[in-house]
Amino acid sequence: MRDRLDISMRANHVFFAVLMGIGLICVALAVAMNDTFYLRLGTEALILGGLALSVDILLGFGGLLSLGQALYFGIGAYVSALVLREVPSFWLAMAAATGVTLLAGIIGGLIANRVRGVYFALITFGMAQVVAKVVYNTRELGASDGLIGVPVLEIPLGVITVSAGDPLAFFLLTLSVLTILYAAVAYLFTTPFGRVVIALKANEKRVPFLGYNTWGPRMVCYVVAALVAGITGALYPMLRGFVSPELMFFASSGNAVIMVVLGGVGTLIGALYGAVLLTFLKSVVGSYTEHHLIAIGVIFIFAILFMPKGIIGVAKPSLERRLIRFDEQTDAARIKATGERA
Amino acid sequence: MKPILHTENLSIAFGGLKAVDAISMSATPHEITTVIGPNGAGKTTLFNLISGALKPGSGKVYLDGKDVTRFGPAQLQHAGLARSFQITNLFFEMTVRENLRLASQILEPISHAVRPLRRTGRAARKVDELIERFDFHDKVHEQVGYLSHGEQRRLEIAMCLACEPKLLMLDEPTQGMSHADTDETEELIKSLTQNVSILLIEHDIGIVMSVSDHVIVMHQGQKIADGTPAEVRANPAVQAAYFGHG
Ligand SMILES: Nc1ncnc2c1ncn2[C@@H]1O[C@H](COP(=O)(O)OP(=O)(O)OP(=O)(O)O)[C@@H](O)[C@H]1O
Ligand SMILES: [Mg+2]
Repeated sequence: MRDRLDISMRANHVFFAVLMGIGLICVALAVAMNDTFYLRLGTEALILGGLALSVDILLGFGGLLSLGQALYFGIGAYVSALVLREVPSFWLAMAAATGVTLLAGIIGGLIANRVRGVYFALITFGMAQVVAKVVYNTRELGASDGLIGVPVLEIPLGVITVSAGDPLAFFLLTLSVLTILYAAVAYLFTTPFGRVVIALKANEKRVPFLGYNTWGPRMVCYVVAALVAGITGALYPMLRGFVSPELMFFASSGNAVIMVVLGGVGTLIGALYGAVLLTFLKSVVGSYTEHHLIAIGVIFIFAILFMPKGIIGVAKPSLERRLIRFDEQTDAARIKATGERA
Repeated sequence: MKPILHTENLSIAFGGLKAVDAISMSATPHEITTVIGPNGAGKTTLFNLISGALKPGSGKVYLDGKDVTRFGPAQLQHAGLARSFQITNLFFEMTVRENLRLASQILEPISHAVRPLRRTGRAARKVDELIERFDFHDKVHEQVGYLSHGEQRRLEIAMCLACEPKLLMLDEPTQGMSHADTDETEELIKSLTQNVSILLIEHDIGIVMSVSDHVIVMHQGQKIADGTPAEVRANPAVQAAYFGHG
């Protein structure tokens, strides 16, 4: 049998596969029904899911509640938009967004990682607020209007070229980016480094006595989270054709936290479930009433009361037990097989 | 023999309270040096000063002849020091093996930090060795929070051994243990001196007398006696301050 942390991560992968399955079925339906609205909505959900994933890296693994994670999402989006308006190159935009968020993440990490708990939440909130207001007041960045006129991209992917204007193609591209990010982050948390980060969340005071530096792993965790937000943020103007300072406002950061809590903190994949759920709820409820925020607030309250561990938390324990049983059976079978051979 | 650890006039005060007051002491390699003293004598605080958990107000700490006074806990760990805690201090939501694995992976080079967790190699071997030695076979995948108190205390020691320290500091390892567990732990501690030097805090006088090579007695932050178990037992000041209470 494997370690619980490995079992837990494998369970997350199963939920990832389930979401993929559901997603692809929905896409097939959308294509069959000639829909573009829901495809684009799904793409947006995935992009916002990247921001939520970034929040979960910090909250679920680093034990750090960021109330300003939209800062990096916004930086990624703005850099991408700025590049694309000059040079319509997908790869250049992605590279620039990655580079700038890396830098911003390091600076932000140096500031925020000096404190913990409520102070961390407030500092991250403050940093995002400051940058958002600066952007809001900078004419070169479009001020309150944001940047419009991001051209529709042709994206060369080796053998094929996809258009960002093609809802299906861009959805699949976004799904691929999210898959890569999810896989990379999931991998990182199964390494010795990841174990130290998880240990820091569980019992920070004990970790230095085991010989581990506490600042370094936290810093890496913070920067990785910033990168995930920035990279998905870079996709945003490709989908919508514009960026606006609202992307960095507290509403965005707060929504991302809600998505993670709805989906399940510390599961990585919960962030994507939460993002899909919240995005579609907003759209559906919003089409019936202007007061959709009330409805969503009520749903959120009930979700916290009745599913404190989120959607994933409801089904995960039994899935983990199954995985453990499966492991035990395969182990037993292997021992039997090798025993018989011996 | 050159001491593995020695302190010079180590002191710290909390407000007006001199919790550790000019303690000079040393520990000999491959011996068991035990710090005793009544409740509140300053034993744990002395451990905190030596292990980098607290910075001393004045005085020096030398590990293997090297001045480590300003070292933090992680640096001290790299210098060869490991400590356990009086109040069990583990990763309670993780399993026994995950705890041991976490402590053992320090043996592997930093370049392995973002490679897959290896099922073989030095850390994995150390984990297996500790599971064997501390008899955790049936509990490897148990969450530490669900272990019995005695098992948790045992794991606390195992965690310290994972990094193969030169000096092992144990703060009341048998605290709250059953008689059987206490006897077992006593045997274990004795057997460890082959590989490490031990600095021990212990309340059980029976254990102190049977395992210690050297005893240091603290009272109200100060060292009031220092010697072999027999010498210390015969010391009138110790009898007044310590044995008098029991
Ligand atoms: N961080 C601290 N702040 C203030 N006072 C402290 C602190 N740590 C310890 N003390 C005080 O210092 C004195 C020595 O405490 P310490 O824990 O070192 O005693 P001890 O010898 O380990 O006792 P015990 O046998 O009960 O474990 C006590 O009076 C305690 O209240
Ligand atoms: Mg104590």
